Amino acid sequence: MNNYNSAVTPELQLSIEQFYYREARLLDGRQYQTWLGLVDPAISYSMPGRGNPMVNNREHGNEAMISVERELEGLDSDGLPIRDEGFLVLSLRVERSFKMNAWAETPPARTRRIVGNIEITDVTGEQFFVLSNFHLFYARPGVPDSFYAGQRRDVLVRDGDHYKILKREIVMDMANANVPTLGLFL
Amino acid sequence: MTIKIRDVVNNDATLISRRAWSDDHIYELEKKGIFAKTWLFLGHESQVRKPGDFVQAFMCETPIILSRGEDNEVHAMVNSCTHRGLPVCRSDKGNTKRFICPYHNWSYKIDGELAVIPQEKTMKCKSDKSQLGLKKVPRVESWRGLIFGCFDEYVEPLEDHLGNMKFYLGAFLDRFPNGIEFVGSPQRWVIDANWKVPMENQLGDVNHGPYLHAAVVPQEAADEINEFGYSVVPGKGHGATFRLMPEDAPVDNVAWGMETITGILGGEEVQNYLREIQASAEERVGPVRARMKGLAYGVYPNLSFLWSNAGFKVSHPRGPGKVEYWSWSIVPADAPEHLKKVLRNNHASFFGPGGILEQEDSEAWMQQYLGSKIDFADDRPYYYGLGLGLEKPHPDLPGMVDNTANEHYARAFYLRWRDALLAVEDEA
Repeated sequence: MNNYNSAVTPELQLSIEQFYYREARLLDGRQYQTWLGLVDPAISYSMPGRGNPMVNNREHGNEAMISVERELEGLDSDGLPIRDEGFLVLSLRVERSFKMNAWAETPPARTRRIVGNIEITDVTGEQFFVLSNFHLFYARPGVPDSFYAGQRRDVLVRDGDHYKILKREIVMDMANANVPTLGLFL
Repeated sequence: MTIKIRDVVNNDATLISRRAWSDDHIYELEKKGIFAKTWLFLGHESQVRKPGDFVQAFMCETPIILSRGEDNEVHAMVNSCTHRGLPVCRSDKGNTKRFICPYHNWSYKIDGELAVIPQEKTMKCKSDKSQLGLKKVPRVESWRGLIFGCFDEYVEPLEDHLGNMKFYLGAFLDRFPNGIEFVGSPQRWVIDANWKVPMENQLGDVNHGPYLHAAVVPQEAADEINEFGYSVVPGKGHGATFRLMPEDAPVDNVAWGMETITGILGGEEVQNYLREIQASAEERVGPVRARMKGLAYGVYPNLSFLWSNAGFKVSHPRGPGKVEYWSWSIVPADAPEHLKKVLRNNHASFFGPGGILEQEDSEAWMQQYLGSKIDFADDRPYYYGLGLGLEKPHPDLPGMVDNTANEHYARAFYLRWRDALLAVEDEA
């Protein structure tokens, strides 16, 4: 396995990192309408369910035995994703955020996320396959603070000098969802 | 001083003390008077199709394994080793021949019988393994694929417990030629709220919709509920809410699933499938129930069902101030596989931890719990009197019936709840 994809130049890495930092700043700044401008209209935005399957005895000794993938109930599985959304549902969430009666965010949540481990795993034409991790702190008056951790598996497409998000799969690391909502923009 | 149940719920359940949702002693009485004695939902037969299949469940805080035995019967047992109490099963679901305790490797058969004590190999005296199996749930029964268990072996038959609720559940479950199936693992959402509040919410509290959910629910949806909505108390603490659409209503206005994001965005093939189901619904559920377009149901004490956003939900208590709220998405069993992948999103798009709608509910439930444990407000019990006495019988709908603003669903629930707690209050 190549450790480095020759298509991943320092310039490309830098511009994609800058894209993610800007995205994080928009989301923590509650600029969801601006953020929607980073989203491709054909987006697939999903969050797999995550269970505790049985270990397969025949896989013992192999990394496959305890792989993360076998815990996920994603779009291609017969299981139940937590979120399976397109542009319209994301728009609905954005619209909701700016209504007076979005009570779960009244007053709005204070979020601060650190996005890191940005790894461009593949480049095909104008599409960029990018993994990134996030830690997110979430606070709202009246409820305990929450902490979110997960991985994003994105496909970005070039859009002039910038990028748009064509696909995002969010793998959450919590065992039970002991948080007010998993409906955030992650 | 210990609170007395007669002071918690008044005689017509129009006034209920805040302590009902926050008091530790009341929570202990709920375990003894309700969860030890009432049918509790465990799962659906589609989750345990073959011998060896199992899923995890809970009865209140007690972990349960629901399995299909080699005898092809459904079994339910407590997931706790008879030797030292560890759970013998750590997976959500799967298929196995044995459950093995990690501590000393006692192993149990799929029906809970103790198979092997490895330490016996080196000892002359043998223990009587027939007495050392996992604790069985003494009563397990199912209706239309819904499996329930009860720790009281003398409990009434499940069908008697469901009573009139079968008419309303059947309007959905029998609507599809081969019933329904559960999809994937339940979404487990831990919320700082009392278990009864999510339950109330689905039991009949339709009327929070246009207010709490005004950011998402369109006015037309609220208007339709005002015009055609019913709230029914079928008896035994259950509740059912739905719209009964006019006989000349177009198929698209009645068919299950057409009103959700999934139905709206699902494309022609999904919509045609939903129309076909509706077109033949009358053959399976009769003319009245074919016109039903359900909202939400509650089955006493802690099972809920959402009709449009097809989900079953169980409110598992974790103390007075915490609930583990499980949601399963359901689909018609005979839908083509690729349509099931679309229809499964009916529930999760709007409900569950990632849903756009239920985040408002979970916020309300958390705040309700905070309001229920404050000091200096015990002379302001919660008011449950809306519509008192306005409910009436209906020629086509079993139970007591009114529009969806009537809070009779909650009064019926809390009257049964009160009786259940009064019955155990004086036990030492």
